[in-house]
Amino acid sequence: MRITLAVTITAILLLAAVPVWAHHAFSAEFDVNKPPTLKGTLSKWEMINPHSWFHIDVKGPDGTVTEWMVEGGSPNTLIRLGVTKNTVKVGTELTIEGYQAKEGTNKAVGRNFVLADGTRLFLSLGGSVPGTPGAAPEKGSEKK
Amino acid sequence: MRTRFISSMIVAVGLFLGVATAPAQTPAYRAPRTKDGKPNLNGVWQAVNEANWDIEAHSAAPGPFYQLGAAYSVAPGIGIVEGGPIPYKPEALQKKKQNFANRMTLDPEAKCYLPGVPRAMYMPYPFQIVQSTKQIMLVFEFAGALRTVYMADQTEAPADSWMGWSNGRWEGETLVIDSTGFNDLSWFDRAGNFHSDALHVVERITAIDADHLNYEATIEDPNVFTRPWKISFPLYRRIEKNAQILEYKCVEFSEDLIYGHLRKVPLK
Amino acid sequence: MNHRFLIPLGVIALAILVAVVLVAPTSAAAQAQKAAATATKAAAPAKPLPRTPDGQPDLQGYWTNNSYTPLERPNDAKKDFYTLEELREVEKRRAAQEDEQTVPGTTADVHYDFTQFGLDRSQTRLTDNLRTSVIVDPPNGKLPPVTSEGQKRAADRAAERRKQGAQYDQVQNIPLGSRCVYQNAGPPMLPPGYNPAYQILQSKDTVIILIEMLHEVRVIPLDSRPHAPQGYRSWLGDSRGHWEGDTLVVETTNFSDKVGFRGASENMKVTERFTRVSDDAIRYEFTVNDPSTWEIPWKGEMPFVKINGPVFEHACHEGNYGVANTLKAVRIEEKKAADEAAKKGTK
Repeated sequence: MRITLAVTITAILLLAAVPVWAHHAFSAEFDVNKPPTLKGTLSKWEMINPHSWFHIDVKGPDGTVTEWMVEGGSPNTLIRLGVTKNTVKVGTELTIEGYQAKEGTNKAVGRNFVLADGTRLFLSLGGSVPGTPGAAPEKGSEKK
Repeated sequence: MRTRFISSMIVAVGLFLGVATAPAQTPAYRAPRTKDGKPNLNGVWQAVNEANWDIEAHSAAPGPFYQLGAAYSVAPGIGIVEGGPIPYKPEALQKKKQNFANRMTLDPEAKCYLPGVPRAMYMPYPFQIVQSTKQIMLVFEFAGALRTVYMADQTEAPADSWMGWSNGRWEGETLVIDSTGFNDLSWFDRAGNFHSDALHVVERITAIDADHLNYEATIEDPNVFTRPWKISFPLYRRIEKNAQILEYKCVEFSEDLIYGHLRKVPLK
Repeated sequence: MNHRFLIPLGVIALAILVAVVLVAPTSAAAQAQKAAATATKAAAPAKPLPRTPDGQPDLQGYWTNNSYTPLERPNDAKKDFYTLEELREVEKRRAAQEDEQTVPGTTADVHYDFTQFGLDRSQTRLTDNLRTSVIVDPPNGKLPPVTSEGQKRAADRAAERRKQGAQYDQVQNIPLGSRCVYQNAGPPMLPPGYNPAYQILQSKDTVIILIEMLHEVRVIPLDSRPHAPQGYRSWLGDSRGHWEGDTLVVETTNFSDKVGFRGASENMKVTERFTRVSDDAIRYEFTVNDPSTWEIPWKGEMPFVKINGPVFEHACHEGNYGVANTLKAVRIEEKKAADEAAKKGTK
């Protein structure tokens, strides 16, 4: 019985239907050899489909500001969790690790979003953003 | 005193002749009711006018591509805007003119983008009103666009969208729809009339007989216009047997327009 | 502004009860499970299922068919149903797999984090379908044999695709879902992997099913009109519905030959049955009929369970920066490679 269970589960994992475009398309769009770390403030979170885009003002060492667009996920499930366009405030400080777009402009896919207090931006935690003024401290699953 | 006497006489004669001398007051049509007691606006409806070309009064004009000749030229229209031209702010009017000049590539309709509001209501394709108690849906043929009108459990838009966020209520025979939460990407027509994400539309839809609705909308956008302005036109029921909304998914028809220049062998 | 719902694991416990009752008993184990579940529920008096003002069964609301259940039964699953324990194991391992940390600097790491956006399957309520496959007939849980005509059609389609060139030569070679053209809306409506939300709205003579993925709207007239003429075809087919007792039966024909559901032809006919079995769940059954592709019709079944809304506008094509970015990137790389080759040539 246990052996059958283990084999069954393995078989299922092999047939795993992860969304087709999850890994395939991204590596054609973004460059694994260009992993910028972007530190800046949010100017806009475009909550659109198929992927949302975070617009970040990144201040360079000489004070010049460059705008970056960072790709995230679809906002639809988050909206069902109570997340709205007001959830992540304009001006929120973010440090984003990601991979830059191969077509060379200031676009990246965001692999990790970290807030000023060092906690991870974990939008799916009931819609309240850890580290935002006024929000209750949340425990995110510490991934990195 | 004398003028008042004359007016009274005119009214009296008018009444005698059965002619209304005051502005016409047609008795309000009472639409059949749904089981939950509301005016029944269910059905397949369509605007019959040239507003999708240009919501303002306009002459017949050539289309943007001479190769298509008269077949895709612009039909003339007296417009659906009430009381004069659209009240653009001066800089916004400049942007409208630029839009018009570049409409072949800028018109979101050409890219099969969702038509927005109120454009979806007067595109030359049918749409269907499906009424339930807590929500009313308007399903449009073009691009499979959908508007959801919340009649209960009303909230604000969680985020911006092409078709907006609509809260509705009944005022007697009239369905009043109050919409906000628009992005700034849709146009009002093919002539480049546009709005910002501050767009606020209030529509009033009233059945005037079994097969016609009166449609009015007040459009407000302080970023673009100097004051609110109004459009109005009738909606006609598609009365043919078994009228239905068909699938008009147009993404594939727009891909070469949008991505053609990125092909390995570019389209000319 | 009360759309704030956490989906705690406790909710899944309730879903289990519902899912177990939904399952049609085809084995002794299932019988026992059903008896146990029914016994637990027997204590509470049955509430009449809701009806619309027109007296029809009320299927309205927000639903999900989110599940790890595959269409076909895995080769090693020798039975129709998992036990609850086994299902939990499957879900735990699949959730862990979706949650897996990828190694930074590897190609697999180049993507955004699904978990952060609530897009892992484990982050939307699961239906807890105990079945080992969606397919219930043939009884082995597998698709029936494909006819020779079906095999030829599949080969022809593959050959046609190869003629089109490499995936990024033109947008038309990119998968339909990435182009926001079509993403398995069906019918039949199989779980999409993420954004697995649906909304049903009813009037007296029309049922609307809104499918979140690509924001597809199914309009289903209930008035016994014939299907549209054969000359009209569509991705989602042409649906007609009617009530059989408390079950909504929907028949869909007029599919475009571009759909090719699991290799089907444009003559595919899908019959769906929607039955609200509790306040919290709809039983969804479907039959796929396409004699030119499968020797016999085949059937599937799965639950839809209640979630909160909304189904927000999934304007996919409108926001599809990804296709343009990718095509641009590939063209740039091709040019780089061509320039390198030219340089080497002139040395």
